[in-house]
Amino acid sequence: MGGSSAVVATTGPRRSPLTTVAWILPGTIWLLLFLIAPLVMIILVSLWERTPVGFAAFSFSLDAYGRIFETSVFLDTLKNTIFRSLLVTALCILIGYPIAFYLARCVKTIKFQIALFIVVLAPFWVAYVVRIIAWLPVLGRQGVINYFLVEVLGVVDEPISALFYSTFAITLALVQLYVLFMVTPIFFQLATLDEAAIEAARDLGATPGKVFREVIFPLSLPGVLIGCIFVFVLVMGEFATVRIIGGGTIQSVGTLVNDYYTIPDLPAAAAAATMLVAVMTVGVAILLRFSKIREVV
Amino acid sequence: MSDTGLVLKDVYRVFPGDITAVSDVNLEIENGEYIVFLGPSGCGKTTTLRLIGGHDDPSSGTITIDGELLNGVSPAQRPVTTVFQHYALFPHKSVLQNVEFGLKMQGMDKTAREQQATAAIELVGLSAMMHRKPRELSGGQQQRVALARVLVTRPKAILLDEPLGDLDRLLQMKMRVELRGLQRELGITFIHVTHNQEEALSMADRIVVMGDAIIQQVGTPTELARHPRNEFVAKFMGDNNVLHGTIESASGGNVVINTPHGKVEVPGSGTAGEKGSMAIRASAVNISTDAVPAVNGVRVRLDFVEYLGDSIKLHLDFNGEPFLAKVDEERFGEVQAYEGKEVTATWSVEDGHLLEQ
Repeated sequence: MGGSSAVVATTGPRRSPLTTVAWILPGTIWLLLFLIAPLVMIILVSLWERTPVGFAAFSFSLDAYGRIFETSVFLDTLKNTIFRSLLVTALCILIGYPIAFYLARCVKTIKFQIALFIVVLAPFWVAYVVRIIAWLPVLGRQGVINYFLVEVLGVVDEPISALFYSTFAITLALVQLYVLFMVTPIFFQLATLDEAAIEAARDLGATPGKVFREVIFPLSLPGVLIGCIFVFVLVMGEFATVRIIGGGTIQSVGTLVNDYYTIPDLPAAAAAATMLVAVMTVGVAILLRFSKIREVV
Repeated sequence: MSDTGLVLKDVYRVFPGDITAVSDVNLEIENGEYIVFLGPSGCGKTTTLRLIGGHDDPSSGTITIDGELLNGVSPAQRPVTTVFQHYALFPHKSVLQNVEFGLKMQGMDKTAREQQATAAIELVGLSAMMHRKPRELSGGQQQRVALARVLVTRPKAILLDEPLGDLDRLLQMKMRVELRGLQRELGITFIHVTHNQEEALSMADRIVVMGDAIIQQVGTPTELARHPRNEFVAKFMGDNNVLHGTIESASGGNVVINTPHGKVEVPGSGTAGEKGSMAIRASAVNISTDAVPAVNGVRVRLDFVEYLGDSIKLHLDFNGEPFLAKVDEERFGEVQAYEGKEVTATWSVEDGHLLEQ
């Protein structure tokens, strides 16, 4: 099947080189302006020297990297951020997969499927910061959980403030924010599975559990992988959620960059950002390598 | 009712909205038979196959295999297995893993199932490809993997849904012989669905022609080619000229029908004044430059000539209606016909064939 499409592609009419360039140009310009240029800028700034108001351009040194690695703060924060990203990604799989599975394979009619999918997407209609702050009435000192603990159950005397300003709360909020990035690709992967392969598995004697383990799950892995990349990368770069829910007591690489920026130590901020991008790139590379995505799809 | 083989009794399948897909199907298939369901798309052949495979349930009627009722039994529990139309291989599994799947589901241990899967892969001639993924195989090779995957579970019957449909013509011809050979070797019942009459004629022990949700005729390839029961079968089997008219007389085991093509005489019986139809195979039609005889002959114009390699198919025109003849090259040379020329088409009484109304 794959072979025939390749044949079709090569027997099409030959395009002039100019047409090819015209096709590639818009995307290339976009990438250059909004991805490559900022990245190059950040790396350059990280290599320049710090001045009281900003940086001295074209004064190359590795001092900024020296400064961020001077104490263990940056490295510890980086480790915590990686750990948090992995944890949130794992939780998103655990929560997101069943949702996607239900939507794609248990809901029978397309109409109902789309309706439910829109409901799942509903949180996206609410502004990002509002979604974060919405946790206050739940987890805050006067929130629902504390009310139950103190007034209804009476298991604690004082409301627990750590409920909100904690890594637990941050993890919870991040999962809630990003689980949709996991649900969506898995949903589409599951919804477009080759039904005949599933029917064949059943025909060959597979029980529903075995059909899932042997056929459906392995074939849905590309969706899981794409979801993992989304969630991992987004949580690695998280800044606002950590700042608001962490209340300044908990750091991520994102909040650290912001801190360096306000000192102001722009080269250090750039150096921290460069490190973040490097770690994310390595992380995604490991994910792709580890999963051998090309063999699955 | 026979208690060996596969028996379909009074099987109906009516889909919601009163769409009858399969109606009044009664069929006995002996163990080890190669059966081909033949018919145009939408005739109910694939639905019938799905009913046998358990992928759909009959609205009424029973399906039994060796006396054991299959109604309500899940596909997994049935001693029949399907080779799906586009093979439905597991894309993430190797050839070996695909083939051993059924045995793994039965709970067979790894060594035993790998041994049996390897033997099945050898049987279809793919030993060298054992560890490849389906997408690294050609269409014909994928087809063989699909076959090995069902053979290994030793079903009583294998159901094949348009098994050669995805292959190019040369490969189709090759696979016809291979499939048939494999079926003989294994002695397993094969039930094969196709819309290609040539394929059906070349492979089947018996052909079941379906049309308009019912079985039109069941018979050996020769029976169907020589004695189509009705107009549907005569037309679908191809290269038959069907003539309609009114029966003029019946005597001596023959009837004479008055048709727009003139009087025709065919073996059979009937009542004068009733409608009568007959079929005449293109290969039984002869052409000449002689005058038109009183019966069994028409004056036609040669529209165009189709070379088939071993014979020549003549597309003739009788008052705007198509008429077919198939002659050998020698005969064609004698007549010295060219496109646009008028010739006489004739056939003998015994080659004509009376159709059911």
